Amino acid sequence: MSKKLETAHAGTLESSDAFVRVIPINEKGIVIELESSVEEIYGDAIRALILESANAMKVDGVKLIVQDKGALDYVIKARVQTAILRATGESEPDWSMLS
Amino acid sequence: MSFVFSEIPHTSTVRRQKVNDFLQSVDLEMSEDVEIFVVAKEDDRIVACGGLSGKVLKNIAIDESVRGEGLALSLMSELLKVAFREGRHDLFLFTKPNYEEVFESCGFKYIEQANHQVILMENSYNIDLYKKRLRKYKHSGDVVGSIVMNCNPFTLGHRYLVEQACERSVWVHLFVVKEDASFFTFKDRYRLICEGLEDLENLTIHEGSDYIISKATFPTYFIKDKRQIDSLYTELDLNIFRNHLAPQLGITHRFVGVEPFCAVTNEYNQQMKKLLTRPSEFPPIEVVELGRIEYGGEPISASRVRKLMQQNRLEDILPLVPPTTYALIVKMMSKEEVK
Repeated sequence: MSKKLETAHAGTLESSDAFVRVIPINEKGIVIELESSVEEIYGDAIRALILESANAMKVDGVKLIVQDKGALDYVIKARVQTAILRATGESEPDWSMLS
Repeated sequence: MSFVFSEIPHTSTVRRQKVNDFLQSVDLEMSEDVEIFVVAKEDDRIVACGGLSGKVLKNIAIDESVRGEGLALSLMSELLKVAFREGRHDLFLFTKPNYEEVFESCGFKYIEQANHQVILMENSYNIDLYKKRLRKYKHSGDVVGSIVMNCNPFTLGHRYLVEQACERSVWVHLFVVKEDASFFTFKDRYRLICEGLEDLENLTIHEGSDYIISKATFPTYFIKDKRQIDSLYTELDLNIFRNHLAPQLGITHRFVGVEPFCAVTNEYNQQMKKLLTRPSEFPPIEVVELGRIEYGGEPISASRVRKLMQQNRLEDILPLVPPTTYALIVKMMSKEEVK
């Protein structure tokens, strides 16, 4: 599945939240740029989580820019999912993908 | 503490006046060109605000009394939401150097500074892409010239300047100001330049960008009427040129026309001489001021052509511009008459 994507975002910059931007790019794959207040401890884990969430939604050719302010895992996941959903322009998600 | 956020559109004069009062209380001047303000209120009192003007975030301020409560990040969230909704995704902002970290945590990256007083940041990484693209056009030589032009519209005066530059250089890079803030659109200006300089062989014509005399890097350039010259913005624009753009193309010289009429441009030329050659880690760029050609005892300039257009004096325009420019002007003026 390769949908046409638009630029979209979700979340806020506030403490315990994450601000996620989805930007379509002209190359294959998923590029992640993370800036996190807990980078030293959880940076790699958060990157893996973002990638996993994006892969599960079968997107390709996107850059995900994430400003994390110490959000819990499910918050980050929800923000990534919402941003991608908005980028695809779909109103109803495929719920089975979001588990 | 909870804050209430709201948007103030350009049309709401009364509420904008309140924003103005608030900005004055924190020693900031309200930018007239802000389209939408986002304000945070506490007990019906404005305690923070930020504005969107084109792709630039401006007038971001927070009252002393509420600093340190994380309001900056809430405000920026709201402001970014508004900007993205308006379709402005690649944003710029100016701020003082000591606030760099605050905006870094909002996803903005440092581009350049001026006089340790103001820094320019952006939330995309487009400047790197732009630099990479420029590198493809690099030519080596003792004299690699550069010119930045608006050409509103392209005249024989511009042509003379470019000819002179090409004669004195191995290669010349001409940048066309991209901002659509002029009487002639960018598309028309760019086309007339390309057509009017077709025969010159050692010349590359570049579309301008946000990084060279644009509303992002040089906001005051486009409000010439006010005779407002902010030397900080001039410096910022020139620092970006010298430290970011020129090295990609190996530029050694910058050519400018002597400016007898326009104060903003003249000031820019003078500051350019100083800033592009002062000691720095980047190689100096020599500024060469070239005289203008005259017709009928007066220099040929774009402003002269525009004035003649207003006075409907087509016959006087003919000797000042190349045939391609003349053709467009004739077309534009015949449309005017129909109206």
